[in-house]
Amino acid sequence: MNALIIGQMAVSGALMGLVYALIAYGFQLTYATSKSINFGQGELVMVSAFFCLTLTNLGLPYWLMVPGGLLFGALMGLIIERAGVRLALEQKSEGWILLSIIMGLFLFSAAENIWGRDDRPFPTPISADPIRVFGVDVTRLELSVAVGVFAIMGLIELFKRRTLLGKAFEAVSADRDAAELMGISATRTVMLSYALSGAVAALAGILVSPITTVGPTMASALILKAFSVAVVAGLDSGFGVVLIGMALGALESLASFYLGSGWREAPGLTLLILALAVRPTGVFGKAVIRKV
Amino acid sequence: MLRQTLYGSLLLAALGLHAGDTVKLAITGPFTGGSAPMGASTRDGAKLAIAEINAAGGIQVGGKKMKIEAIERDDEAKNERGALIAQELAAMNDLSGVIGTVNTGVCMAGDKHLQEKGVTKIICPAAGSASMTQWSKAGVKDLSIFRFAAHDGIQAAMVVEEAINRKFTKVAVVFDSTNYGVSGRDDILNQIKLQGNKLQVVAQEKFNIGDKDMTAQLLRAKAAGAQAVLIWAIGPELAAVSNGMAKIGMKAPLIGGWTLSMSNYIDNAGKNGNGTLMPQTFIEEPITPKAKAFIDGYHKTYKVDRIPSAVAAAQGYDAVLIFAAAVKQAGSTDTHKIKAALEDLKEPVKGVIATWNHPYTKWNPADVTTHEAFRREQVVMGMVQDGRVVFGNAADKARLIKEATGTPAKPAAKPAAKPGKGKTK
Repeated sequence: MNALIIGQMAVSGALMGLVYALIAYGFQLTYATSKSINFGQGELVMVSAFFCLTLTNLGLPYWLMVPGGLLFGALMGLIIERAGVRLALEQKSEGWILLSIIMGLFLFSAAENIWGRDDRPFPTPISADPIRVFGVDVTRLELSVAVGVFAIMGLIELFKRRTLLGKAFEAVSADRDAAELMGISATRTVMLSYALSGAVAALAGILVSPITTVGPTMASALILKAFSVAVVAGLDSGFGVVLIGMALGALESLASFYLGSGWREAPGLTLLILALAVRPTGVFGKAVIRKV
Repeated sequence: MLRQTLYGSLLLAALGLHAGDTVKLAITGPFTGGSAPMGASTRDGAKLAIAEINAAGGIQVGGKKMKIEAIERDDEAKNERGALIAQELAAMNDLSGVIGTVNTGVCMAGDKHLQEKGVTKIICPAAGSASMTQWSKAGVKDLSIFRFAAHDGIQAAMVVEEAINRKFTKVAVVFDSTNYGVSGRDDILNQIKLQGNKLQVVAQEKFNIGDKDMTAQLLRAKAAGAQAVLIWAIGPELAAVSNGMAKIGMKAPLIGGWTLSMSNYIDNAGKNGNGTLMPQTFIEEPITPKAKAFIDGYHKTYKVDRIPSAVAAAQGYDAVLIFAAAVKQAGSTDTHKIKAALEDLKEPVKGVIATWNHPYTKWNPADVTTHEAFRREQVVMGMVQDGRVVFGNAADKARLIKEATGTPAKPAAKPAAKPGKGKTK
């Protein structure tokens, strides 16, 4: 019985952890090309979820709503890049930190005014009935999170490795100046990374909403954890976020079982401090040698 | 010149309107956020009653008829907002009274400002015990705060009774960490003791507002062998509990406070919510002509086909009727005189929930029920079924129909012919 409970807690936690990983992956995408992060990523998740809810309420079927949502997310990513990040980056200032936070706050207020402050159910054709795997109850909804996360990360990684545009992405990530000398437009590539990051955020919203409901504050809890995952894994670690995300999710739910729900965040955050003390570049990060 | 006369007449008109032609009644509550279904329904129910009274010309106050003017304030279910609003209302000189407040914490934070000035307030529909017991603990001699809701004492007693009636022996007590949740837990534990310790509490689990994942708490309750979950919380978290139970395949029913009838519980829990039991003061079923008129009026006025919180709406409606009766009896818009009239209401008030005979009496700090309108007999057990709240026990429904069709007391015949008899369409 006890082993089963541990298994149950670990599995449901790890599946939720995949959502942290997906949002963390969105951080990585923009960090790779521009060394900047959208601190309004959580609000992007939330606004996209609301947008998809509106599409669904308009009568759009699920399989059309998903690409619609992804497109919306990508568009929002582009807007944030243009309005909040590009100017600051051109001037080599750290202004994007504040600007992206401001954009997030703006999206938050907009969502409150357009959709209201209530938490709403997010309809989905995927069943929430549990299926029993080796004595552990998992719902199809939770499995859909795993499928969605691996699918989009796999697609983006394939795109980066197999296509010309993707190679440009990798080149700018590796060395922006050298890439520009080779005729690759760094600005375009940064735009691309923000669009991808926005689409990833939208997918995170679509996947997590049926489980947690949609509301203006839905992302505030997710985003801090996603950020922890990105930092612990290393901001350029690729699939590292998946492992760390699942581990953090599992740890959280085990902690809330054994220590009480008030303590669920504690072990994860302790681990974050430890990881940063021992490996400041992240568990899967590469140390950068800077020649002066 | 022309402009001056225009302004002048506008000013006069404005003055005229405010120079005591209306009865000013403040309506407060959370109209946004997780508690909004209750707050907005209270407000809308109250405004329905106000509109009906005004359409009939107003309340007879002394020699003339006066209309009710509603002043609405959204406290967002936040204690600090509630305190600010109470201060603002207490500072209004011509305010006749206040109806509202959903959240016990908001009552605790704000009501003292109203009590200081002696402003009459009918708490509706906040049910937490603490919002009235705070006054008896303080030994207040003269209280201007009344309540129009089935307080948690009644509700907890019914919840425990229901669990015992359904032959459960092991229960989990689950609650949120707000004033409402914690005092609900205390009420339940107290009632279990009072009703002879027939229930064994195998787990006590707490969660916070905003929590979505209750797996840990529920697994502990399941592992301890809980046959039912007695719960005290607000809509969205209640739904998270219900959905969490479905996920881990826990079949125990949820029995708890009346918040389990909130639309954001029923909608977010979907089919997992079926069978949930909670005390209700009003069920959205047109079983009496009065109830039918109220339900139809609400649906038509607010363009909905289900009242977000029927209990809150009906209580808001009846609270206004009782308040208006007190204004009429006092023959004044003075809030102190209205308070005195409320404590000794002579004429019965025909409400949608019941006919209220002398609902309140002179405040006695040793007995909070002096300022509580609801007794056990005005409360029934409701049950969630396919997105609606229906009667949990058929006997309650039959009793209410019987009471409404006259012939109170003295059951002439045995209630053998249960449904058909007094049915009024």
